[in-house]
This record gives sequence, C-alpha cells and structure tokens, in this order.
Amino acid sequence: MVQLFLSLALLLTLSGCVQEVKPWEKETLSKETMEPSGGNALARKFEEHIYFSKEASKGGGGVAGGGCGCN
Amino acid sequence: MQLRLSLPAMALIMAANTQAEDYVTFQYLQYQENDNRVSVSAPSVMINKDFGTDFTLNASFVADAVSGASPTYYAADTVSSASATTVDSASGASAYSRGKNIAADRVKYGNVSFFEQRAAGSVMLTSRFANRDELIVSGDFSSEHDFESISGAAEYMHWLTPAKNQSLSLGVSFQSNEIVARCVDEVNCDASSGASQEKQATAVNAQISFMQNINRTSYIKAALFYIADDGYLTDPYLNVVRNNNGVTADVVGEKRPEKRRGYGGTVRYANALTDDLTLQVGYRYYQDDWEVRSHTADTDLFYDLTHSWRFNLGLRGYTQSAASFYNGTSNYFTDELYATSDYRMSDFHAVTYKADVRYAFTKAFSVNLGGNYYDQSTGLKAVSLLTGFRYNF
Repeated sequence: MVQLFLSLALLLTLSGCVQEVKPWEKETLSKETMEPSGGNALARKFEEHIYFSKEASKGGGGVAGGGCGCN
Repeated sequence: MQLRLSLPAMALIMAANTQAEDYVTFQYLQYQENDNRVSVSAPSVMINKDFGTDFTLNASFVADAVSGASPTYYAADTVSSASATTVDSASGASAYSRGKNIAADRVKYGNVSFFEQRAAGSVMLTSRFANRDELIVSGDFSSEHDFESISGAAEYMHWLTPAKNQSLSLGVSFQSNEIVARCVDEVNCDASSGASQEKQATAVNAQISFMQNINRTSYIKAALFYIADDGYLTDPYLNVVRNNNGVTADVVGEKRPEKRRGYGGTVRYANALTDDLTLQVGYRYYQDDWEVRSHTADTDLFYDLTHSWRFNLGLRGYTQSAASFYNGTSNYFTDELYATSDYRMSDFHAVTYKADVRYAFTKAFSVNLGGNYYDQSTGLKAVSLLTGFRYNF
C-alpha cells in the first residue's frame, strides 16, 4: 500500500500528463463540484455516518470527526 | 466577499484549490430502513466564516432522533412467544434477554426495539501561513444516553511547489469514548435490574495525503490512513448463542477484542469534463487485524444545467470480508474467546444509488433535495432523504 502510494506520487510528479497550473487558472479547480463533498459538506457527513454505522470499515475521509455509539 | 478582493488577493486564495466562503446551511435528514428497523430524523446546521484571508472557522451541529430495532439473538420468555420478532426494550426485562442453559427452543433471532437521541457538534479552525500552508485544528463531541465521545484533531497541509499544485498533508486525531454497557461479563444480566457498567475506548487516527493538480480541470488525491482502536469495542446490546446442543443453549452478550488495528488507502480523482459537467471517482481499501478487508468505489456526476439548476447522480459499491470471530448461526459458538453475530461484521456487499438536485434562487440562496437508496446483501435496505438550504453571506 505504501509502495503504491509513493509510486502514484512519483508517477504524477514525473508524468508528462501533469501541467503546471497558474494561480489564475484555478477557477475550475475551485468549483464546489470539484470538492470531495460536492459542495454540501453536511450531506457528506451524513453519508459517512450512515456507512460507518452499517459497515465494518472506517477511515480514509480525513482525521477530523466524532464518534457515535452506533457500531 | 470575493467581489471586494483585489486581484492579487484573489490570486492568493486561488492558489489553493478550494475557495473559502461565508455561509450557513441547514440540512434535514430522514432515514428509514426496511422491516421497520432503524428510523432517523436528523436536523443539522453548519456555519462557515472567514476572518480575513488567513483564518476560517467552521462549526456544525446535528441532533439525531433514532428509533427502531436491531436484529440479534435473544431468549424468548416463553416458547409461545416464538412468533414475536420484536421485543420491547421499554419494558425492560425482555429487552436484551439473555440466559444460560435455557431451552434451545427459546433461542430466537429478531428485532430488539430501541429509541436513541444523539447530539453531536464539531468546530474546526483553519489557519493559513504566509506561504499559504494550512493548519487545521478541530474538536468534536457526541452525546447519547449510553455513549459519550470527545475528540480532537490536527492536520497540517504543506504546499510542495511555489505554484501550489502539489501538497502533502499530515493529520492525526485522538478520540475518547465512554460507553454505558449493560450485562457485561454476564453479571446481573437482567436488564430490568438496571445493572450497567461504564466502559472506555479510544481511537487514534493518522493520515498522510498527497494532492496533485493534473491540469486546470482535474486533480488527484491519494491518502494512507492508520487507525488504532483500544478498549471496549463490543456492542453492549448484541447477543450470541453459545453451547447450543439442540436441547439447551446459552444466550450471552457478544464479545470483541479490545484492540483493533486498521489501515488502508484512498484515491480520488476529479475532472471537470466540460464547464457544466464534473466527474469524481474514488476508491478506498481497508483492512484490519480482525480480518475485515473491504473495497469501496464511488463515482459522482455533477451537471450544471443552468446557473440555478444543478443535478448530481452518484453510485457507490462496497464489499467486505467477515471478521474472524463472526458467525451468524445459533449453533456455532462454544467457548471461543471472541464471538459476534452482528451482521455488520459479516461477509457482504452493498450498493448505494444517489440522486439530488440543487436550485439556486440567487447567488446567495439555494435549496437542495436528494435521496439515497442503500441495498446491502444481508437484506438491509435503506432510503435516506435529505433536504435543506444554504445561504452565502
């Protein structure tokens, strides 16, 4: 897993498909729909909470967040 | 606020991908499972406020009202109650009925009803330094009548290049949980006696992530995470059946290890295919020393039909292997140290279908309505509806 992660980082860094984006070219990248939450952070929180309470896996969505007695 | 910023200030903010905004949003969730299992009503509110260009404060609060029933084994009061699948927890004695050396035909599997209210909140402060690196500090709490949780987290994001197209983030959190457990260690297992014990559990979560802007319309983000759970990780309400010889059996509380070490990785790719169409694809791998392994894949498609209308369709697939100490039958466990019949620890897969729409009356005010349908191979099916509004100020 760590090797995959580092390989991906290295591949992207060295890859010709990566272009330098100037600060004034980041309008599209800053759109709400480009955010992991799609612009609705509360909706994403609800989704993650439901999955956490119905499945045995967790993690990967960031370190912040509270617990619940649902699992 | 952005309209009042000078061009250099705008470029400073746009150097990062996300563009902070001042807003307040209210969302109401209604969640319902099949077979009259869990039903949830959850209003929530979130506020996001910038203080200059260097600080952003985000706070949220949610109040859940959860009712319904959880399936588990229980000791029926009499053989004649075999047809009953719902046990009334409010009446006490039969709620989590357990017993040793009971007649085997008193062992039933059904829904045990419950009602729960939960209040949870979160506060997060983002600080940006002169080089635009970010430090995010957050605190969370969650409170139920039988569960209390507080947690704190810190994450540092460092830009790897002057153009700010690569970043590396390192985050860590600590969570402390207090659980009120009834009938632990099979002592005083008559729920009507009110016997309970307070148990503790902690969770440490560490994550490192790497983000790369690929071009002006796409980026990729990958992360590795590690989670260490310690303490009371058993569900105090769930039972298992032990020593079932066909004549007699023991219905006792489940028991899980007091240590769990999980790790995994995620990758997310977002691409604005056109000015109106955005695609997101994500994947997560997870495994732990309970022998749970899972794969999660999700995709979202956002379509801005006009400046006012936005549609979102999503699909999520999930599969997991069973925990090593799981068995769902009533005649498997004998004297194993750990045992659970919780279906959530079983081998299953699930699919979620998602659709929602947002309508913006003005640039400042929008409303949203959406729904999810969750279909788990264990038989669990759930529908959630979410509606709310957002006001940018």
